[in-house]
Amino acid sequence: MKEIDIPIETSAAKRRTNPLARVFDELVRFCRSRSMFMLHYCTGCGAIELPPAMTSRFDMERLGIQPMVTPRQADILLITGYVSIKTLKRVILTYEQMGSPKYVIGICSCTVNGGMYWQSYATAKQLDQYLPVDLYIAGCMPRPEAVLEGMRKLMDRIRSGEADGWEDYYRRYDWYLGNQQHLFGDDWQTPADVIGEASHYDLAGPGTEGEHTRLLQQCQKPLEPQQTFFQIGGSLEKKGESHE
Amino acid sequence: MRPENYQAISHPPSNEYELNFGPNHPGIEGNYALKVKLHGDVVVAARADGGYLHRGFEKLMEGRLWIQNIALVPRICVPDPVPMEVCYSMAVEVLNDMEVPERAQWLRVLQLELSRIAAHLFTFGGHAATTGMYTTMYWGVADRDQILDLFEEWTGGRVYHIYNIPGGVRRDMPAGFLDRVSCTMDYIESRLPDYDNLFFTNQVFVDRARDTGPMNQQQALEWGVTGPNLRATGLAFDVRRDDPYLVYDQIDFDIPTEAPGDAWARTLVRRQELKQSIHIVRQVVEKLPSVSGPVRTQIPNPLAWNVPAGETYTRVESSKGELGYYVVSDGGDKPHRVHVRGPSSMHAVQVLEQLAVGARLEDVAQIMFSLDACPPEVDR
Repeated sequence: MKEIDIPIETSAAKRRTNPLARVFDELVRFCRSRSMFMLHYCTGCGAIELPPAMTSRFDMERLGIQPMVTPRQADILLITGYVSIKTLKRVILTYEQMGSPKYVIGICSCTVNGGMYWQSYATAKQLDQYLPVDLYIAGCMPRPEAVLEGMRKLMDRIRSGEADGWEDYYRRYDWYLGNQQHLFGDDWQTPADVIGEASHYDLAGPGTEGEHTRLLQQCQKPLEPQQTFFQIGGSLEKKGESHE
Repeated sequence: MRPENYQAISHPPSNEYELNFGPNHPGIEGNYALKVKLHGDVVVAARADGGYLHRGFEKLMEGRLWIQNIALVPRICVPDPVPMEVCYSMAVEVLNDMEVPERAQWLRVLQLELSRIAAHLFTFGGHAATTGMYTTMYWGVADRDQILDLFEEWTGGRVYHIYNIPGGVRRDMPAGFLDRVSCTMDYIESRLPDYDNLFFTNQVFVDRARDTGPMNQQQALEWGVTGPNLRATGLAFDVRRDDPYLVYDQIDFDIPTEAPGDAWARTLVRRQELKQSIHIVRQVVEKLPSVSGPVRTQIPNPLAWNVPAGETYTRVESSKGELGYYVVSDGGDKPHRVHVRGPSSMHAVQVLEQLAVGARLEDVAQIMFSLDACPPEVDR
């Protein structure tokens, strides 16, 4: 279903010609695939099969995969099931905070086509319109064995260099951003500088910038202090007085 | 982040600040958030911030056939899906004035109690993990898997079973299944002393959970608290005994209560319920061979099933508390209106907001797990 409107270089084409560099690249990819941190973010009901997969019985740790609590140190973003629109904003924010290379796995049918909630007003139906998904694990919900098998497949794909969804996000950022703006409204913005990162990784292409990024630049404004959430329960001064 | 977006945010000098607790936080249960205002590390105020898991169930159910909704309802509460199926099926049966065969009722009780054991084992694990005892979590999840294996053999699904339908259950159990249920119950019962040593009498747990998030009986009643959380305040209210459904009136079981109403009492009530559930399962296993007959009544063509007009409210005791379904039919092939009275929407919103005040930040996660809130059911 992915609409690919710009030619994407295959990983074979951009393999470096220097034999020493190729050995080095393969070593790096091997190491990467053997030590992955998985972001601990339960977005949906598929998360219930992750504790069995992580703990003693199926033990994901023997593949070198461990949960990680912060996005900055994580490599894998698991989308476990349906994403409501409110969650999708946080998921995109989280994804853009993660350091490259980063991989997205869509678990459950809901990330593929909406699943049970195909007619729901509150969920985003196709995850790969908003984020580059490297691997889908279908099922409602997939068993822990299926999750482990998916992880092994992701390891293989990282080792062979095929898991390059994060590069696709930089190359076709305009298309992804357009879909996000279509869902969240024109004033959608995240603090991440994706275009700057794309040129940093030398991945900026014709699809990186376009009409949607121009719209983003018009709407983007500096971050403001977070509005205070507690209208009820008194102001800072009032509470301070009551403490003293 | 774009450099021009960096701005030093100035605050007035104060010990108070606001913190987003979740949704992407290891201490929070599921995809749920709290915004807490802190004075030092003591919570001054808390506001629940749900909606991350909202799917619009009540609207979705109006657009599907009565029988299709059976596949939809267990998704409302993921760790404990069976009461959802049973309660919805019971509502449709009441509207149809339908009699459920006795064997199907016993099978439903067996499934409900197995699901309760699985859900409680999962909750202990979560609560232990918030106090830093991850071993209990590893054990609890592994023992819960034994129950899921039983479910898989019985119904074909590990987590969602879609086994109860209006009029009974889909099929009978496989041959020799009751022996395996007994074996698993023996195993889980033999594990309980280990859990006591590891977790329930552990000084770390007792010190941290005692007097954490206390509520008294009157508060609990005012806030709409049900289930183990209410029983932890000393009131022995249980839908299974006070408004018996299925064959619970023929079963002998106690209702454990504790007086203090804090996180320690709530978890201890669940620990005792685990024993009672094992006791109930044993009785069902003993009784089932003597109950013969069909496992479901004849239902009309489910694709053109017009349920008579009317409205009803049915309730069951789930592992989280009282679960109710208010179903209205206008005589069509789809529900006119379905409302789910989930226990967690009380526990995780107004109760958690109140109990978190005065607690320290590191105890907020513990309070949430001790209330056994289920975020998908809060948001629905």
